[in-house]
Amino acid sequence: MRLSDTRPGAIFTVDRVLIGGEIGKRLAEMGFTQGATGHFIRGAFLRGPLQIRIRGYDLLIRRCEAKLIEVSI
Amino acid sequence: MKKTVSIALAGNPNAGKTSLFNALTGSHHKVGNYPGVTVEKLEGFADHGDLRFRIVDLPGIYSLTAYSLDEVVARDFLLEEKPDIVVDVLDSTNLERNLYLCLQFQELGIPVVGALNMTDEAKAKGITINEGLLSESLGIPFVKTVGTNGKGIKQLLDSCAAILGSGALNGERGAKPAKAPEKALWTLKAPHYGEEIESRLLPLTELLGSDQAFSARYPARWIAIKLLENDENAMKKLREHTKGQEILSKAQADRTWITSHFGKDSEIVITEQRYGYIRGAIREALTRSPGGKASLTEYIDRITMNHFLGLPLFFLIIWGIFKLTFALGEYPAALLESFFGSLATLAQIIIPEGFFRSLIVDGIIGGVGGVFSFVPLIVILFLCISILEDTGYMSRAAFLTDKALHAFGLHGQSFMPLMLGFGCTVPAIMATRTLKSPRDRIATILAVPFMSCGAKLPVYVLLAGTFFPKTADNVVMLMYLGGLILSMLSTIVLKKTVLRGPSTAFVMELPPYRLPTWKGVFWHVWGKTFSYIKKAGTVILVASIAIWAITTFPQPRDESAKAQTLAAGFARSMAEASQEERDLAVEQALEEYRLEYSAAGRIGRIIEPVIQPLGFNWKLGVALVPSFSAKELVVSTLGILYGSGGEEGEESESLRQALQRDPGLNPLTALTFMVFILIMPPCLASLAAIRSEAGGRWLIFQVVYSMALAWIGAFIVRLIALPFLGT
Ligand SMILES: Nc1nc2c(ncn2[C@@H]2O[C@H](COP(=O)(O)OP(=O)(O)O)[C@@H](O)[C@H]2O)c(=O)[nH]1
Ligand SMILES: [Mg+2]
Repeated sequence: MRLSDTRPGAIFTVDRVLIGGEIGKRLAEMGFTQGATGHFIRGAFLRGPLQIRIRGYDLLIRRCEAKLIEVSI
Repeated sequence: MKKTVSIALAGNPNAGKTSLFNALTGSHHKVGNYPGVTVEKLEGFADHGDLRFRIVDLPGIYSLTAYSLDEVVARDFLLEEKPDIVVDVLDSTNLERNLYLCLQFQELGIPVVGALNMTDEAKAKGITINEGLLSESLGIPFVKTVGTNGKGIKQLLDSCAAILGSGALNGERGAKPAKAPEKALWTLKAPHYGEEIESRLLPLTELLGSDQAFSARYPARWIAIKLLENDENAMKKLREHTKGQEILSKAQADRTWITSHFGKDSEIVITEQRYGYIRGAIREALTRSPGGKASLTEYIDRITMNHFLGLPLFFLIIWGIFKLTFALGEYPAALLESFFGSLATLAQIIIPEGFFRSLIVDGIIGGVGGVFSFVPLIVILFLCISILEDTGYMSRAAFLTDKALHAFGLHGQSFMPLMLGFGCTVPAIMATRTLKSPRDRIATILAVPFMSCGAKLPVYVLLAGTFFPKTADNVVMLMYLGGLILSMLSTIVLKKTVLRGPSTAFVMELPPYRLPTWKGVFWHVWGKTFSYIKKAGTVILVASIAIWAITTFPQPRDESAKAQTLAAGFARSMAEASQEERDLAVEQALEEYRLEYSAAGRIGRIIEPVIQPLGFNWKLGVALVPSFSAKELVVSTLGILYGSGGEEGEESESLRQALQRDPGLNPLTALTFMVFILIMPPCLASLAAIRSEAGGRWLIFQVVYSMALAWIGAFIVRLIALPFLGT
């Protein structure tokens, strides 16, 4: 499933980032690499950005980018 | 003479570079810019034994790709200036991701010293780091530091000195650095990417090394890795290589192979390998004591990022800031105003009547004084914003506002520049640096000027207060709101036309809340305020003198004849009035006559046909002339034009009465004029900022675009308001 399909509170493992290029590279560099575990803390009002905890820090990511990350729960 | 060694202080944003920089250099530093861009550059010195370290604070980055301006600046600095040592500041609470950048410095072939900063926070979080083990596995010396109190600074400099002593460095700057590294401890290790990739990297590196001149400039292995990462900037550099074409096609083939072998893009593969290497290194060096209660940050975020409470709280904070700014700022602002008032009075006493006195009183004190009275407001506004920024609340604001801003084609990080735009356009435009995508940056830069800056406020206050005495605050509010709506509509249109393109990633760190340090906040506020004062002292001083000159010269020759005609006329029309009243009337009429005759009056007359459809008379046309250099000058120019003497504040009663007496002015014209001021191009200093942040082409675009929009907007508002306000 995609990261955007998970629910707040979910703990997930990253399977892969689906695209390359600038966006995919940045996602990978911020820690979304195969096997990394993350925690979906909360989403913003009206399907706004997601707060994700990964590699011991928190980051914000939009839903459209979360859609590019394949994860398993 | 001490030997000078250059150090680049680099690291992730918020890792504590600036704090460490201040601890290292004390007060011996200067603030500047990197060439060609307005990314701030801090430079300072630290003496250590018989060495003098020249330290440069690089912008905070996450990686050495070339996707953002900050990254390009940092990369170019490291490649072109070749500092002797890179001190990588790492956030110990977040070591894994911070090391990701550290490895890339190592690959650049410059000796790296790692500063494990925030050790106090890491300890509180139950994170223990064995720096000896880490040094051993990565081949980089690590030192524990605390940026806020300067702990570990001495050891850090010791490590830098030790690296120099190890013979790792050639004494001569600019000498070929390729020779020394083999001997040195710190490059014995370099990130290993696994056999499959290394077997591709090796031949590529050798091929790159075949051009001596090229590999002296750019580290071959680093370029090879960048090529596998599909880095456009590195590909461009290949043009300087004798075998550029061959390397390019080989790298292309290698990327295709990696992609098919690993089943994902090669740039992702490289990133994953780097993280894999880091994992291996920290497995033993880092221990996390399990458990631990939810942090204070977590508790605060439950409120500040709450679905229902977050946004209202956020608006409450903004409302509070503006309330505080204007309520607190009023008193020092009034003090400053009366100070300049007394200064004008004093000048009138000690300087004999004539041009010189007029220049000092009307030109310089009137113009610059008006600008200085805004300083208290600016200080308070920036104080609040710096505190929000340093605590980490701004990232929460981006979380809350991104959805709405994204709908208009902006970004959660556009929010801060837009908000600063209500204070002053110059720092607001400078603040767009935090936006990583150039297109989002330009969109934000073009949206900011429609936020009514502090300098537009006196114009609104004067005109709304004069022509809408009962509803003045609502009218002023309407102007602010109108600007906000316009900026959003404008952004939608621009994003669909001139700024069209795919949107970029919104991936930003959410740092934990931190107590801001007084020193940090002070430097922020001081820097911003100083740039404002500098603007007042230079651009506005010159503009004030120029405006005084064009409103004073050329002078009519037939003044005494005119005075006699006027006196005769008034003797008849004002027969019952006293002699004094008649003299005053003559003096006022003469003043107006002089202005009409002056260069400004002529300009006003020339542009009159253009602004007539908006209902502006030539006097308003004259007032528009200086508004290009600074909006607040509209008030002082109207003051001169309506002859209210030395005192020209927006609260001035005599100016209000003079404006009301002019039959050419009425509520409708006042409203239209305010709309025009709102939309028209921002002040000269802002235009200069746009030019340096976005380039000359966007500057021209902004001026033409907002000029046209101002006219059209004012015209439409006039049409709409006509039935309500009459003529
Ligand atoms: N607890 C703690 N806070 C620190 C330390 N170093 C810096 N800070 C704080 O972290 C924040 C970011 O620091 P700054 O120097 O601006 O980071 P930069 O973005 O890398 O320049 C500031 O609020 C600092 O006061 C440290 O060693 N310990
Ligand atoms: Mg900094």
